[in-house]
Amino acid sequence: MNTNGHVVQATNLSKTYSTGGREVEALRGIDLTIAPGEFTVLLGPSGAGKTTALNVVGGLDRPTGGELTVAGEVIAGNGHRAREGQLDALRRKHIGFVFAQFHLLPTLTAVENVLVPMIWEDASDRGRAEGLLRRVGLDHRLTHRPDELSGGEMQRVALARALVNRPALLLADEPTANLDTHTRDEIFELLRELSDEGLAILFATHDHELAERGDTVLRLSDGVIADD
Amino acid sequence: MNWTLIAFKNILRRPIRSILTLAGIAIAVAMLFNLLEFQRGYERGLRGELADLGAHIMIVPRGCPYEAATIVLHGGKWPRYMEQEWYDVVRGTEGIEATTAIIMDAIIRDGGRENLIYMGIDDDYPTLRQSWEYAAGDWFGGEDTVILGSSVARSMDAGVGDTITIVDEPRVMPTQVTVSGILQRTNSQDDGLIFLPQRALQRIFGLEDKLVVILVKVEDVTKTEEIATSLRQASAESDAGMNIFPLSELLNTLTSLLSSTRVFVLAIVAVAFVIGGVGVLTTILMAVYERTREIGMMKAMGAGRADIFRLIWLETLITSAGGGLLGIGLALLSGRAVVALLRVVLPHTPAEFALGMTGSTFAICIGVSVLLGMVAGTWPAWRAARISPIAAIRGGS
Repeated sequence: MNTNGHVVQATNLSKTYSTGGREVEALRGIDLTIAPGEFTVLLGPSGAGKTTALNVVGGLDRPTGGELTVAGEVIAGNGHRAREGQLDALRRKHIGFVFAQFHLLPTLTAVENVLVPMIWEDASDRGRAEGLLRRVGLDHRLTHRPDELSGGEMQRVALARALVNRPALLLADEPTANLDTHTRDEIFELLRELSDEGLAILFATHDHELAERGDTVLRLSDGVIADD
Repeated sequence: MNWTLIAFKNILRRPIRSILTLAGIAIAVAMLFNLLEFQRGYERGLRGELADLGAHIMIVPRGCPYEAATIVLHGGKWPRYMEQEWYDVVRGTEGIEATTAIIMDAIIRDGGRENLIYMGIDDDYPTLRQSWEYAAGDWFGGEDTVILGSSVARSMDAGVGDTITIVDEPRVMPTQVTVSGILQRTNSQDDGLIFLPQRALQRIFGLEDKLVVILVKVEDVTKTEEIATSLRQASAESDAGMNIFPLSELLNTLTSLLSSTRVFVLAIVAVAFVIGGVGVLTTILMAVYERTREIGMMKAMGAGRADIFRLIWLETLITSAGGGLLGIGLALLSGRAVVALLRVVLPHTPAEFALGMTGSTFAICIGVSVLLGMVAGTWPAWRAARISPIAAIRGGS
């Protein structure tokens, strides 16, 4: 598949679950392209298929149909199906995740949490981790554990962690859902800055106000993209 | 930041649970450690005791030869005797370098609290017991003199030239004897004995012409069995019914008796290890369930199955190896108490017997702990590796 320099190129992407003996079409024929530095917002109500779309694009789940290429790696298409190890490597090297829940390791300090994704590469760059934490405004919280941080601070740590392996794509699944308005705006602005620096971002939210600030808004409803 | 640090911090997350798990393994390892060191220490002590006797063959009267041997080694009262004339038969046997004949008796008072053991020896005894050194005085100065072992001298507060009275009426009428020598501490049974000239003991205790043991040193050690056979034939011909056995045989018999006991103890240790292993498995499995979301997040960040397996396995190995080290520490701390207990429980323990630490025992204990961790950690690690990141992040397993 020719990606034309896109970080994400999806064509006619679908995902069908089998649950409780019935088939559920979570995604139906989605077309999606994200270029480097593009801030794409996936807007939709709960159950629209936003998380499924992020999981499929992030290699956490496999599409049941269509073609998908992420960071030059073909995940699905033309009969090809990426192996689990390939998907692990893709996430490790090219994709960063942030979720509504921060999922920080409670026993580790902020800087140690940021370093965790490097361990899978048997690497450790404390200077980079500290630099990222400074970048997200946590230079005074480097050695604090999650239970000593506020929700906004924890999300900043999670963001620094997602960036530590220099990903090409950041997948953000309602990352501001559990934050107050002020903190929400700060985190969003931070993401905008990162996008302006060349990071491709796919941001899932049900917040119309936030969605308006993205470069591209995809409205998702019942697994189908309604319009751009 | 590395794998080990994460594993350590995960273990420390639930300190009480981790300590209890460590304790389970530590107890099993301490048992194994003590068992291995006991066998080693016992054999070493027994070998030393037998070497101290300076003899190759032991001859004792009818009855259980091994019970007799332990009485001889530790001193005590043995209710069976052989006739003095037998000593002449033994001495006349070809290939013998030296012999000594011993008669023993004991006076027990205050319901066993005071236990004085008397050993009647002849002039040949020092030939075999060449390790003897005197703290004061010298060899017997006559029939009514005694040599005291260091512990006895200290407990009696007796010195050379002092007079002590041997009495156990009506069996033993009061007899005064003078201390002619006090032995240096030997860390053997000799420290607790009172030595008399053989004939004096026979006279005082009414055991004329009686002997309890004859020790034989052969000229050529390779002919020990041959000489023992010859003595057995002589015993059978005269219907004396002596028990004649090389001391190497005694050592083998006592240690093989010990080995058979060890099998049972090993079975108990194995059960302790199984319990410890199940404890590790349960703890790690619980930790995996509790950390399902974290593990899911790790996989979302790019950790593969092998990475997760490695992390959980490492936690198990650290836990079990830590338990192993704790167990060894526990065994070293409790060594003296265990020896004291064994001295009460076992019919015979060598005088110089202690539980130490050898490199091989240390290696075996740590090796078994690590192996236990590897086995116990496999299933939880496998379960963790198979966790679905989507289900885990969503909140399921």
